[in-house]
Amino acid sequence: MSDGDLDVLQRALERERKARRAAEDLLEKKSQELYIANSELRAWSNRLEQLVAERTHEMEVARDQAISASQAKSQFLANMSHELRTPLNAIIGYSEILLEETSDAGHPQYHADLQRIVASGRHLLMLISDILDLSKIEAGQMAVFYEDIDISMMVHEVVETLRPVIEKNRNRIDVQAAPSLGSMRVDITKLRQSIFNLLSNAAKFTENGRITVTAQRAVGQPVDTISFAVQDSGIGIKPEHMRELFVPFKQADASTSRKYGGTGLGLALTARFCRMLGGDISVDSQIGVGSTFTLRLPAQPTDRDPESAHPSLAVAQDGEKDAAQVGTTKSSALDGRSRDREAVLVIDDDPMARDMLSRMLSSEGYEVITADDGEEALRLARDRRPLAITLDVLMPKLDGWAVLAQLQADRDLRDIPVVVVSILSERKKGAALGATAYLQKPVQREQLLGALLTQRTPSIHHVLVVEDDPDCQQLLRRMLEEHGHPSRCAKNGREALSLLAQQIPDLILLDLMMPELDGFSLLDALKADPRWRSIPVIVVTARDLSEDERRRLSQDTEQLLPKGALGRGELLMALRRLSSKRSTGGASNSDVNRRPGKA
Amino acid sequence: MKGIVFTEFLTMVEERFSLATVEHIIEAAHLPSQGVYTSVGTYPVEEMVKLLQQLSARAGVAIPDLLKAFGHYLLGRFVRGYPGFFAAHASTLDFLSAVEEHIHVEVRKLYADAELPRFFCERVSDQTLTMLYRSPRGLADLAEGLIRGCAEHYRENVRIERDDESAGSGTQVRFTITVETQAPSTGMEASA
Repeated sequence: MSDGDLDVLQRALERERKARRAAEDLLEKKSQELYIANSELRAWSNRLEQLVAERTHEMEVARDQAISASQAKSQFLANMSHELRTPLNAIIGYSEILLEETSDAGHPQYHADLQRIVASGRHLLMLISDILDLSKIEAGQMAVFYEDIDISMMVHEVVETLRPVIEKNRNRIDVQAAPSLGSMRVDITKLRQSIFNLLSNAAKFTENGRITVTAQRAVGQPVDTISFAVQDSGIGIKPEHMRELFVPFKQADASTSRKYGGTGLGLALTARFCRMLGGDISVDSQIGVGSTFTLRLPAQPTDRDPESAHPSLAVAQDGEKDAAQVGTTKSSALDGRSRDREAVLVIDDDPMARDMLSRMLSSEGYEVITADDGEEALRLARDRRPLAITLDVLMPKLDGWAVLAQLQADRDLRDIPVVVVSILSERKKGAALGATAYLQKPVQREQLLGALLTQRTPSIHHVLVVEDDPDCQQLLRRMLEEHGHPSRCAKNGREALSLLAQQIPDLILLDLMMPELDGFSLLDALKADPRWRSIPVIVVTARDLSEDERRRLSQDTEQLLPKGALGRGELLMALRRLSSKRSTGGASNSDVNRRPGKA
Repeated sequence: MKGIVFTEFLTMVEERFSLATVEHIIEAAHLPSQGVYTSVGTYPVEEMVKLLQQLSARAGVAIPDLLKAFGHYLLGRFVRGYPGFFAAHASTLDFLSAVEEHIHVEVRKLYADAELPRFFCERVSDQTLTMLYRSPRGLADLAEGLIRGCAEHYRENVRIERDDESAGSGTQVRFTITVETQAPSTGMEASA
């Protein structure tokens, strides 16, 4: 190797060495940059975590605020319910009293006005109830009470309740719900109200047409599906309105409300009830041809705990709220063993007369059983123990007098009030044979109802009214006295206790929300004293009860009457039920009547 | 200019000529860096121009031809260093179409200071691609060498037409690249 070669190699080596050093410097510089970048990243990461923590905290605070706002809203609604229903109760109650007094005293000029006040009051009550229901559903506070029901029977009951409304528009009704459908486990109040809403809509929007109610069972896994279809040949729904059908307060259009009335809440509630029960609702409609609404529900609750269903105190409430919507009717669909105690037996051989009496009675909330001859009548009276009987005199085979005599001769039937309804003018003979009232045909609706309502219930003599609102107190007192039940009044639990110490009443009508000693505390005091323990208590409340409160009341009281729904009829029916229970040995306290309406 | 271009250039000179040639052109070029290059560093492009001038003078080869040969050589180096970029494409035209949009994007992520030429590609047909080279450095010859190296990598025969749109300065040149037939067998016959 020459010197020149060596020189070249040496220079190349030197160059490579320098290059290596330069590379190392560069690496060192890059490392530092990386280190700094890393530190910055870590700082950013920490800052982000801190930000996330702050935001999370802010959201938690916001969530808690929202929850407590929602609770405040619910509480507000419950209070409003009380505040609104209490005066409304007085308005409806006094209007009814005035209505009766003016018709008795012959002031026809006020009659129609008073009827409008009553109808509007009930309409308002319905609105309040529906809005409360909707709010409760939205707030997730609507409880579901499952029980086993006979499907066919329930459908027929709803149809019978609405039959007068259906026939008012000259519609034919066809029911396809065979007893072979069997039973299902469902919240009957919500299901019944749903079918009621659909059917009353069908009746409202159909004239001279046909309405078909069909119940069907589709076998399936894990549970069968029960469908209820309400089909009408009515005006139909425009396609552009279909989407808003189930939206609260949206009726098809403004002109619909003016022509047909209603709140626009019925379908919204129905759809929500269906969803709560694990089912759905669908609609099929064609303008001018008709509409079909179909509910599909599981035959058993699927994803809910069925144990959450417990026998609860029934709320004798407002079938009539929907009735107010259609103007003339209120629901009398009742279930359970006590049903027959609500029934009135109509005995008449003339189908026209039977039909007319039935309509008058069912429009007032009574269930109606009919018999077209005396023998059938006696059989039905024994089997079903009706609340009251209307009796025609001139009938083939066994006539009315003979029926009356046999009723009076039967120890079990003797107490059933009998209103004789005849073309004959033999008031004295009727009274002599034990008739409670005597009406001559043609019978006016008010006469008939008056005769049924004014019967004194025999075994209740003295009533204690515990109520802080003076108007309500007066109203209850007046209703009771009008029908032969003297009463004393206490304006809170403490006063009630001192009155109880003086005299033991046959019945206590109890408000829950009172100053000093409230209704719940009074119930506790009653339970604690052996002298008072067996006094029947009917709770009359405007309060929107919680599930716990309702459960508690179902054990300690005879019946629960929501204040808004408290017409004279309801109160007297409750009294009569109580007295018939007493005279027949009665059912247990928890075996209370369940009526449609809010649970 | 990225250091890898310098280090690869000197490596090529050493392989094709000799280590003495390398030392000679470095010395004769009077470079501020004294020829001390690392592949991860960055150096003025003027040094490359001086090195090319010195090599051209010593070897008696025109600078454009040197640049084309270097481009061809450099592509082989890229294939070894970054095989993923080449594996992702099936043919010369596919690869070239992706240079601007994908490969240079990735290069910039690795070397934020890289000053890359722009390539605007237009696929005229299945066989033909036009590629507009634009760079103030005027190294269109280097680009052509790279394109040829690329075709060789994918074993395709390409015809390259050049249209200098910058009056011969080589700063904006439109290449029209047409794939002719199936691959040449192997070898370096496309290079200088």
